Amino acid sequence: MVDARDISGKQKQIAVSEFFEKNKHFLGFDSLQRSLITAVKEAVDNSLDACEEARILPNIVVEINRLKGEDIELISQDNGPGIPRDAIENVFGKFLLGSRFHAIRQTRGQQGIGITGVVMYAQLTTGAKTRVISKIANDSSAVFVELGLDTRKNRAIKSKERREVWIDENTGEEVRHGLKISTIMKAKYQRGKQSVYQYLRMTSIVNPHATISLIVRGKDGEIIEEGKWIRTSERLPRVVEEIKPHPHGIQLGTLQRMLRESEQRKMTSFLRHNFSGVSVRAAKEVLSTSAIEDDRMPKRINSEDAKKLIASFQRVKLLPPPTDCLSPIDDLLIKKGLSKAIDSRFASTVTRLPTVSQGNPFQIEVGLVFGGDISADGPIEVLRFANRVPLMYQQGGCALTKAIESIDWKRYGLDHPGGKGLPKGAAAVLIHLASTNVQFTSEAKEAVADNEEVFDEIRKGLLEVGRGLKNHLKKKDQRKKAKEKFELVNVILPEIAKKTSKILGREEPDLAPVITQIMNAVFCEEELGWDKERKLATCSIKIFNYTARARAYTILLKWPENENITIVENSNGGRKEARGIWAWRLDTLNPGTSTTISVSLSGLSKGDWTDTDIFFRGNGDIIGATKIDEKILEEIRKSEALAAIRNEISESESQETNEIVSEGELVKKEETNNSDGINIFADFEEGSE
Amino acid sequence: MSIVGQRKTKEEVKDALKDIASEMHNKMEKGVPPSMTLPVRSKTNIGFDNKLGVYKYGKKKSTRDATSLGSARQLLRSLHVTEFIEQMIDSGKSSTLREMYYISEAWGHGKFGSQNESNNLAEDLEIVTKCLREDFKLRPEEDGARIIGNVTFEERNRKGDWMRINCRDDVGDSGYGVPYNVEAEKLTLIEEDVDFIMAIETGGMFDRLVENGFDEEARCALIHLKGQPARSTRRIMKRMSQEWNKPIIVFADCDPWSFRIYASIAYGAIKTAHISEYLATKGAQYLGITADDILAYDLPSDELTKQDLSALDSELTDPRFNTGYWRDQINLMKEIGKKAEQQSLAKYGLDFVTDTYLPEKLADIGLGY
Repeated sequence: MVDARDISGKQKQIAVSEFFEKNKHFLGFDSLQRSLITAVKEAVDNSLDACEEARILPNIVVEINRLKGEDIELISQDNGPGIPRDAIENVFGKFLLGSRFHAIRQTRGQQGIGITGVVMYAQLTTGAKTRVISKIANDSSAVFVELGLDTRKNRAIKSKERREVWIDENTGEEVRHGLKISTIMKAKYQRGKQSVYQYLRMTSIVNPHATISLIVRGKDGEIIEEGKWIRTSERLPRVVEEIKPHPHGIQLGTLQRMLRESEQRKMTSFLRHNFSGVSVRAAKEVLSTSAIEDDRMPKRINSEDAKKLIASFQRVKLLPPPTDCLSPIDDLLIKKGLSKAIDSRFASTVTRLPTVSQGNPFQIEVGLVFGGDISADGPIEVLRFANRVPLMYQQGGCALTKAIESIDWKRYGLDHPGGKGLPKGAAAVLIHLASTNVQFTSEAKEAVADNEEVFDEIRKGLLEVGRGLKNHLKKKDQRKKAKEKFELVNVILPEIAKKTSKILGREEPDLAPVITQIMNAVFCEEELGWDKERKLATCSIKIFNYTARARAYTILLKWPENENITIVENSNGGRKEARGIWAWRLDTLNPGTSTTISVSLSGLSKGDWTDTDIFFRGNGDIIGATKIDEKILEEIRKSEALAAIRNEISESESQETNEIVSEGELVKKEETNNSDGINIFADFEEGSE
Repeated sequence: MSIVGQRKTKEEVKDALKDIASEMHNKMEKGVPPSMTLPVRSKTNIGFDNKLGVYKYGKKKSTRDATSLGSARQLLRSLHVTEFIEQMIDSGKSSTLREMYYISEAWGHGKFGSQNESNNLAEDLEIVTKCLREDFKLRPEEDGARIIGNVTFEERNRKGDWMRINCRDDVGDSGYGVPYNVEAEKLTLIEEDVDFIMAIETGGMFDRLVENGFDEEARCALIHLKGQPARSTRRIMKRMSQEWNKPIIVFADCDPWSFRIYASIAYGAIKTAHISEYLATKGAQYLGITADDILAYDLPSDELTKQDLSALDSELTDPRFNTGYWRDQINLMKEIGKKAEQQSLAKYGLDFVTDTYLPEKLADIGLGY
């Protein structure tokens, strides 16, 4: 990351404290309430990033104690790798700004000014030093040190440094590795939508691998608020690859600096080594389009030529940037995260495939929960995240919110008065934007700026979860109706017959033909369950023929097929119809009879599989199942084939990065990247919109 | 033609109820869902019966069959009620509608969800069997009206003796309480010395007229309707009008709900259109308060609420109000956007109603005194 001193290197040196004062609104220290949230955020983000890099499952404890007046003590402790003694000064004493431009990847830290801001704020408001305890696994003891800032020289002042064995106050055990900081600042603890509690709750949703706890104490040591979010996944986010910038996202100033600092002697090698997505062929084409010779020294390229280069970048066909620099949370984990924070009846989550906007890879994840304990009054709750960091302010001006507002939610079963603003009802919507370059509306970094591609991707994700909700509600309704019919024919009708017989002194009539006439339909009921002992997700599908004719159907089940999840038990055999779709051809079902199909899946955890779709093929309707659209099946098979091609290409690419790619292969690759892949299943019916 | 003469015997009532069960049983034997056929009970299905001079249900029928859970439950309840009534007839007991609602607790899936359901079902059975609630040994707990004036009834008391009551001399200030059953087996109209009968919506106004001695001054009998009048109240008015040949005058608030009170007295209520000829008094006249009165007497008034306005609009499509007089009154009321209570007349003093308002209004309709 770039040091504030370097950035302002050629400018007039200003005192950092002055800089802080002037800019505290966008540094997040503009009010007493927000300052506390920002301080917690800097500490927790650092802990999560450090644990992720060191491949440690994070345990983070945040303590907030109200002292006299407006003074608040903030303590944050993690089980991360700790900071080596010599690095402490830098981490806590230097102002860090923005993100690197030579190497790009998705990090949380992009969004803050770092923990130094906290040290600074504490010092400015109360004069307190920030106490740090750091233990790295390799050292026999921990470093205890107090830090202040020399605001004119922009560096930390250490004091009272000592080494000692660090015994955890709560457990009484020696801490093997970790970091603890505590400081005192002027701040205000407040509950509600914009609170430390809400910040940590949201953080826990998008970091299902973290255990986070919060204790807030009042002046007399009484507990005011408490929260504990235990990890629901043992899986750490994957390590993200650093990538070079892509020419489509480059700005003139940046390009000029890159040229200036370049070590290369030839333009082709400059282009190939400093950018992603530029093959030899593409580099040559860029140069010829810009009328720049290959043997020009990059250092000597003037601004006129640099402008030409920028223009050619847009004209020449380039490979898209790689997307493995992104760290999506994964839809199943979002579901877990959401369910640990919100009690609901229905949850649907989608992780879209990564895509690119102006040279920046990005990826959208969307989740929707409905029902249960969620309040049905007022607008839905919106949970916005950028690179796993909760966005808590400026909800109305954020592109993520606007995308939600752009959907006609009435079609998906939510109340949406006038089709404007946020829909109402017992729902919460989560949107996570993962990107190497999240563009915000302002330096406050609380609202994502408008971007058509991002907006479209979010909409697609929302439509998909919306459809899930619609199906869920429809199914709920069908289920209710079916239940009523069953009660009618199994309970009420026999009682009516018994009563009339008794009143009239006549024999009870045979009700079978009456029942057939009342029901006059085939019913399908599925039940998803969990076999605790054998750790299997179970599904049983029961089909009743309440019509006067014999029926024959093929029943299709949607199941979460992947490398780890397999069908281990299957009562009726059947066959794989497409990825995630299993089919059974049933024997003829005579009037008044029923049959049951049971399957068990391994590789899932409890609560992973709570909702599914049943389809059928055959004549006449089945209540509780949807007639399969053969076109949709075709699309699934097609996207499967595409996914296979994609895998092949990404494998071959990793072997021969930046090698010349034949024209044919290139086209194939572009296609792959533009396709919606597996999501086609959901987008299909949306074509009508 | 007396309704009382058409009253059914116990056996006829039981048979009529059994017909309902038979219809269901026969259907099931044929392999089709059991059902019960009823007239549509809404304002879209009432029409003026020229012969009877009241509004009756039209030809629209609805079939309640066991293809939905709600209807099937209704059928089951009908059978439970049938059985219950049979038992009461056999044991010589009667019960209130509310008691039946509680008794239904023991009927399992046939139990009522609300009192309203049991009331409606009792009416359904009346319609289908052409019997009266009284035949079913079911009675309401709503009490009937109060009467003050120089009229004399004979009522059979609990001991079975006939008791003679003059509604001016033998009663206190609260008047004669009308029993729930006012049929011949319970009540006889003996004699009268009045020129007309005035039905009054509110208790406050009834008491005012009693205190001012209006019944003697204007030679009339006063009836307190207690809001929407009970069946027995409407029935006794009908008998007084029919057997004594006296005009019935309705004095109510000026608001849409009071208009409906009048309509139920004069033309029949939508809910009881199956027995309109037995309850409604054709020729009952609406005296006031009218929208004209609000203007003419400059009465203190309230703004019409949203509900009032939609009630007025609904009345404009109600065939019972499809007369020039009512259309004018309703439209005028909408125009001025006001409603007024009977007691707003007190603006001009406690005696204004008996000294000025009523004499003037009665003179208008030829009942001056």
